This record gives sequence, C-alpha cells and structure tokens, in this order.
Amino acid sequence: MNLVLDFCKLMSNPVVILGIESSCDDTGASILKEGKIQANIVANQDVHKDYGGVVPELASRAHQQNIVPVVHEALKKAHVDKSEITAVAFTRGPGLLGSLLVGTSFAKSFALGLDIPLLEINHMHAHIIAHFIDLAGEETPKPKFPFLCLTVSGGHTEIVLVEDHLKMKVIGRTNDDAAGEAFDKAAKTIGLDYPGGPLIDQLAKDGDPLAYKFPHPKAPGYDYSFSGLKTAFLYFIRDRIKSDPNFVKDNIADICASIQYTIVKVLLKKLVQASMDLGIREIAISGGVAANSKLREELLLLKKSENWSVYIPKFEFCTDNAAMIAMAGYYKYINGSFAPQTISASARYSYED
Amino acid sequence: MITKTIEYEGIHQLHTVSEEILNFTKDNSLFAIYGDMGAGKTTLIKSLCSVLGVKSNVSSPTFSVINEYVIEIDNKTESGNFEKEVYHMDFYRIDEQREVFDMGYENYFFGKSYCFIEWPEIIESLLPEKYVELRIIKSDKSPDFREITLNLH
Repeated sequence: MNLVLDFCKLMSNPVVILGIESSCDDTGASILKEGKIQANIVANQDVHKDYGGVVPELASRAHQQNIVPVVHEALKKAHVDKSEITAVAFTRGPGLLGSLLVGTSFAKSFALGLDIPLLEINHMHAHIIAHFIDLAGEETPKPKFPFLCLTVSGGHTEIVLVEDHLKMKVIGRTNDDAAGEAFDKAAKTIGLDYPGGPLIDQLAKDGDPLAYKFPHPKAPGYDYSFSGLKTAFLYFIRDRIKSDPNFVKDNIADICASIQYTIVKVLLKKLVQASMDLGIREIAISGGVAANSKLREELLLLKKSENWSVYIPKFEFCTDNAAMIAMAGYYKYINGSFAPQTISASARYSYED
Repeated sequence: MITKTIEYEGIHQLHTVSEEILNFTKDNSLFAIYGDMGAGKTTLIKSLCSVLGVKSNVSSPTFSVINEYVIEIDNKTESGNFEKEVYHMDFYRIDEQREVFDMGYENYFFGKSYCFIEWPEIIESLLPEKYVELRIIKSDKSPDFREITLNLH
C-alpha cells in the first residue's frame, strides 16, 4: 500500500468501511460511510431467497456460501460501489477457527484485490463499540468515557472498564457458564427447546419472580459463576417433580419468573458493585441477553436509585453483527492501526494487550 | 480395556482427582467426557486444565463450541519455551455430525494436543481408536458426591 496514495484517499474521499463478521453462527457484512452505518446484513432467509445462500448454521461451509451474497447485499443496500471502499474490517477472533478463517480470507483477498488497507477487529471489543453505532440520518446518545460495559450473551458474560474507543480492560468475567447459557440450560431442564432464553422471558411475564428462591452463586471480585445455579435449579425441579409430577406444567410462569429474576439479580449485583467501587455511573449493556425484559426493567430501577445513565444498542447491534465490526474498524482507521496482509485468524484473541 | 474408578465429594478434592486422572491416562490426549447436565463436566475440565498448566480463564464452550487455551512448555534442551494448545469442546448444541465435518474435527481429534470433549454422544462414531472415555456419575448419597469412571480405549 502506497502511503502517499493512502493519505490522498483519506483526505479527499469519505471513509467507507466494509465490515465482515464470521466468528460463530452468523455471516454478516456491513457498510459504514461518513461514520454512519448504511447497511447491516446478516445471512438470513432474504439472502437465501435472492442469492441462493444457505440459512445460518454452525459450519464454515455455510459461511463460505454466505459471504459473497451478504457482501453483495450490503453494497447494494448502501448504494456503494466496491471501488468506493477505503478499508476492510474483519473479525480476527475470538471464535471458531474454521468460521473465522472464512471472513479473514475473504477480507484479505478483497483488500488485496482493491489495494486498500485491512483492519483486524476483536469480536468482544466490537460488542462494546456497538454503542457508538449510528444509522444514516440518526444520532443516538453514546456512553461517556470512562464507562462500564456488561457484555452478556449465550457465550459471554463480562464487565469491561472502557477508557476510550481503543483502550479497555476486562474487570470481571464468568468462571464457568455464560448468563445466556444459564437461561438456555434452565429452559432445557423444564423441557423448553434450545435456545430457550427468550421463551423463559416470555413465560415469566405472567409469573411471580419471588415464588421460588435460588442460591446466588459466589465468585471472586467482579467475576461470575452460573454453573452452581444451573445445578441448584436442576435439583430443585427434580425434587419438586418427585412429589408432584405436574409441578413444572402447573407452575411454569412462576418457575421462569424466579430463575430469570435470580440470573438478572446476579448479573446486576456485580455491576452495581463495580459502579460503586470505581465511581462510574455510565453503564452500557451489550450482547443478546440485553434483549431480556427483566434485565431492562431492573436497569430502569437502577437508573433512578443509582443515578445511572444506561445505554443499550438496538437489538440488531446487540447480537453478533457486522456493523459493530465496521464501527470498530472506523476507530482503528482514524488511529491508523492497520493490519498487514500476513495476518491470520486467531481463535483465542485477547483485546487487552 | 483398562478401567479405573475414582470417587470424590466436593470440588475441593478436584485438584487431587485431576492429578490422579492424568497420571492414569498418561500419554492419552483425547477425552470424551460424559455426564448429565450439572454433573460437573466443565468444572472437572477446568481443574484438569489447571493441573496441565493452563493459566487463562477456562469457561463453558456450549455456545462457542471450541475454546482454545495454551500451556507453556518449559523446554530446556531445545530452543527455549514453546506453547501447546489445549482444546475444550462442547457438542451440546450440535444437531448433526455434518456440522462437525465442516468444522474440521480431524485436526483436533487426530492432533497431539489435549482435547476435552463435553457432550460427545453425537460424535462417538468419529472418535479415533485410542481415546479416554470419562463418565461423571452423580449419586443420591449427597449432592456433592461424584463417581468418575475411566476407560482407556
């Protein structure tokens, strides 16, 4: 890459970034132009219909089939020609190696073909940067530095102290199961299909969250542990069924409300502790579990009682998506943090170094 | 087939149990770990990894399917220290073997690195001839009581 040419491009044309995400189940592509997201595509039925890709599933082959269609769709939707793209951002890790390789290889060849720079993005870093996403013609409130971000999903539960767009530190994480997994496995225990987290949320609406009490797991510092809660819930259900075979069926709403309440309380307890200890009241939530209605309800209460400012991105930017990769790429671009063509995917990839 | 049974009560005994397991399984690196939900598969693997020298956080790979950790091997005879991977897998949410083919399972199952597999039922037919079958059984004696059976295939 010619540096002078690069500089000219930077000065004369708007920054247009193609973001690629393929760390786990979903293949995504997004276009960012002038700091705003113009298109955010995840391989789904529409892509399937228009381009003959496949429905998302856990398979690098699915990513291979989906990657070109999703990029096409993103460019089309953003009304951007590929010649306008100034850099390609891609998820380098952490994730499933086979899946990461597809996005990484695509991004590298795309950048090489167009002679534009590459931006390597950490998936967990991007989940936090999702709070800075704006759609075209939109301006959403953003958390002010330093803030605390709770990233909570099927695979992750961590509290991150965010000092600026590129500098952050994990201060708490799960020692075993993620909170989303606790939801899904509790759901499985009472016979709901995997992933049952959203179903628990729905059924809990008619239940009493204080009907049953479950132990709050202990973990050091701001860390979490959900494995013991899972086991306690399992024993609880097993024992109740022994004396009343219809226990689950007759009390499904109360059971769901109680386990949901426990998980949410556990999640927030450490967040409140960290907020108090560090004197930070700017609180951001990301990851798929951010959609949970009880978590949102309790956050509203904390907003008042703790005087918090709470930020939750739109749902499409909470779950795995490419817009957050493009957004994180934008900050790296401004910072001049480009990746070499020799870069490779990394299944374990810390963003604290 | 060589077998062994270990009983323990409470996770405070896990470190000793893990040492006993690794002493017994010797050069075997592939472990198929069976047990009901809540039996303590992840907790045991956490302990096994700790005995092996994994320093990073070991957590459940139910969503991620594969977690990768490293152990630093102190190699005084050759060119200094080197890193070795430890793979922690979980096939809980895998529905079809086809998905495992696409994931490149051979690289993990037939490699030399340690590989601990939770919920291996769906991939049983893909396991190589030589592997460790480890079963964790809960007992009614007490909520913390576990029995581990080891079979060297």
